[in-house]
Amino acid sequence: MSQSQQGLERLFKALASYSELVAEAYFTGVVYKDNQNQRALNQLKQLKVLVNHDADGYRIAGRLTQFLDSALSSDRVRRLDTDLAGWIETLEQQISLYQDAEVENRVGDCDNYFAEIERLVFDLSDTLEENTRYLSMLVNSRFANVRTLSEKQKQNAFYISRLEKLVNAITALQPESLLEMVEDQPHIYDLLDQQLIRKLPIYQQRLQDILDTLKVFLFELRQIEARAQLVQGFAFFLQQNQNYQPQDWSERDNIPEHWNQIKPLALLAYADPLDHALEEELIGIAQKISIDTDVMLAKQKQRLLSAVSLSPQNKKTLDLPLYRKQLRVYFDRVLKYENQPISAVAFQQAFVDDIEPSIWLSCVLNEWLRRQQSNKRLLMELVPADVGQRFSGNKKVTDIMLKYRKADA
Amino acid sequence: MFDRLLKRLLQGEFICEVSDEASFRYLLDPENATQVDAFLTRLDYRLSSTQNQLAFYAAYRTIDSSARSDIRKVFQQFRTELQPVVEWLDMMMSCLNQDTALSPGDTLSFSSLLQVIEQNQALADRLQIFAKFKDFTSSDDSVKGRLEKLLSTLEKWKYLTLANRDMLIYQVTGKLDYFYQALQFIQEHEQIPVEQGETDVIQESLF
Repeated sequence: MSQSQQGLERLFKALASYSELVAEAYFTGVVYKDNQNQRALNQLKQLKVLVNHDADGYRIAGRLTQFLDSALSSDRVRRLDTDLAGWIETLEQQISLYQDAEVENRVGDCDNYFAEIERLVFDLSDTLEENTRYLSMLVNSRFANVRTLSEKQKQNAFYISRLEKLVNAITALQPESLLEMVEDQPHIYDLLDQQLIRKLPIYQQRLQDILDTLKVFLFELRQIEARAQLVQGFAFFLQQNQNYQPQDWSERDNIPEHWNQIKPLALLAYADPLDHALEEELIGIAQKISIDTDVMLAKQKQRLLSAVSLSPQNKKTLDLPLYRKQLRVYFDRVLKYENQPISAVAFQQAFVDDIEPSIWLSCVLNEWLRRQQSNKRLLMELVPADVGQRFSGNKKVTDIMLKYRKADA
Repeated sequence: MFDRLLKRLLQGEFICEVSDEASFRYLLDPENATQVDAFLTRLDYRLSSTQNQLAFYAAYRTIDSSARSDIRKVFQQFRTELQPVVEWLDMMMSCLNQDTALSPGDTLSFSSLLQVIEQNQALADRLQIFAKFKDFTSSDDSVKGRLEKLLSTLEKWKYLTLANRDMLIYQVTGKLDYFYQALQFIQEHEQIPVEQGETDVIQESLF
């Protein structure tokens, strides 16, 4: 069973269980709290079957009263939403009937008329309360929740018609004349004053708020509509005039207010070339560079072309660096004395003066690596140093011995 | 609040309900607005707002040559934005099947827009038109790529803010109110022909 079904069942059970209390409240207009019915009254109030009448009493909620009137074909049936102003008239008539009955000392009629007056006042109060609250809620939450202008216009018409009914009802309620009418009937005076007249400012304020909201919405609606036309018209104009640019309003003596906007205070390490605001400034800088810079002003040298000539080119002999000459002598010596190891350091000490031993050894090693690829008979032996850092991955040498192996027979 | 708000104003930003609700509400209080204005006055600036008070921004109190030069740049940027923003607004009316133009606070869902444009060749063609504007050229030639570029550029120009990063829902900022104001001004002063319909008369009767 769904939650709403459960709620309905609970409501019907309560109405059945407490039917006597409900009937009493309907026929007498009010039911008072006592030791036995307190729990039942609270439950009926929670279910919105009863509402407060005064501090101790309860009455049937307006909507349920209307339903019962209708179900019982009562002559009190009224169309609350449509003819609120008509109610005021009925109220005035009932007061007159009550006063006549009182003058003629018809006590029973007096009670009946008073019950009817009471019911009318509560119904009116409930209806004004419900309608103003409901309209206020709608205006504040759902007014703008439509997508098209025609829907908005329909919505406006709906709200305005409901508002008109409420305003008419409140206007028809002339508090002073009503109270004046019942000056001699203090219980009716108190009833009208407490249940209706004192609440009027609340309803009026609520209506004023609704009206203010509607005014804003109507104003916005007019603006939205004008904007839609502006956008569509402008879009069409721009499609027809693709090169259109607005006049330079920033050059006018009186700059239009909306373009008076400060330039952002921002620091950047570089200029953003996509920022159009900087375009002119960047162009200015670029122009400045072409005018002021000596480098740009200097006449460019004419490039030399590599001419193709059929005549034999003059050969230039490039001098070998000294160390390469010395390496060549050393290697020639090694190649000359086959199978005889020759110390690189000894050669360096004997023939090379201006190269450090360590650099010389490095040069010998490189040269051996180069030559060894083409000459496998050239053998090298490293003379390691006695001390060295173990496990360092490095090999420390004090000399290199080169030997030219004799060719196999 | 005060310092954060001022920093944003000095960065030339528009403070609106969408971009910074707390600051916007702060400025709606006349007393707070007076305090902010007093501070800006010391820099020869003042607090200004769009015609419908949907966004606040800082403006020059005295328009000297330096201010005029800055305003020229602001106007230059507006000139750049004019055509693509009008085209975007017009296109969104078609996409959302609305007869009303976008307003600050309205939301745009990337996925919904994409779906509508992909199912309508005319809209896809309109999206392609944006490629002629320098800031809207995209390396991705698909509808998705172009739409991404369109919305990201409008976000960069502060007409949109990404309200939900996961769902890619954008929200129109109060800067659009400023744009409409400028557009209205140009239309009126340069006599741009914009047809006025009959609905204006209907609206009059609703008051």
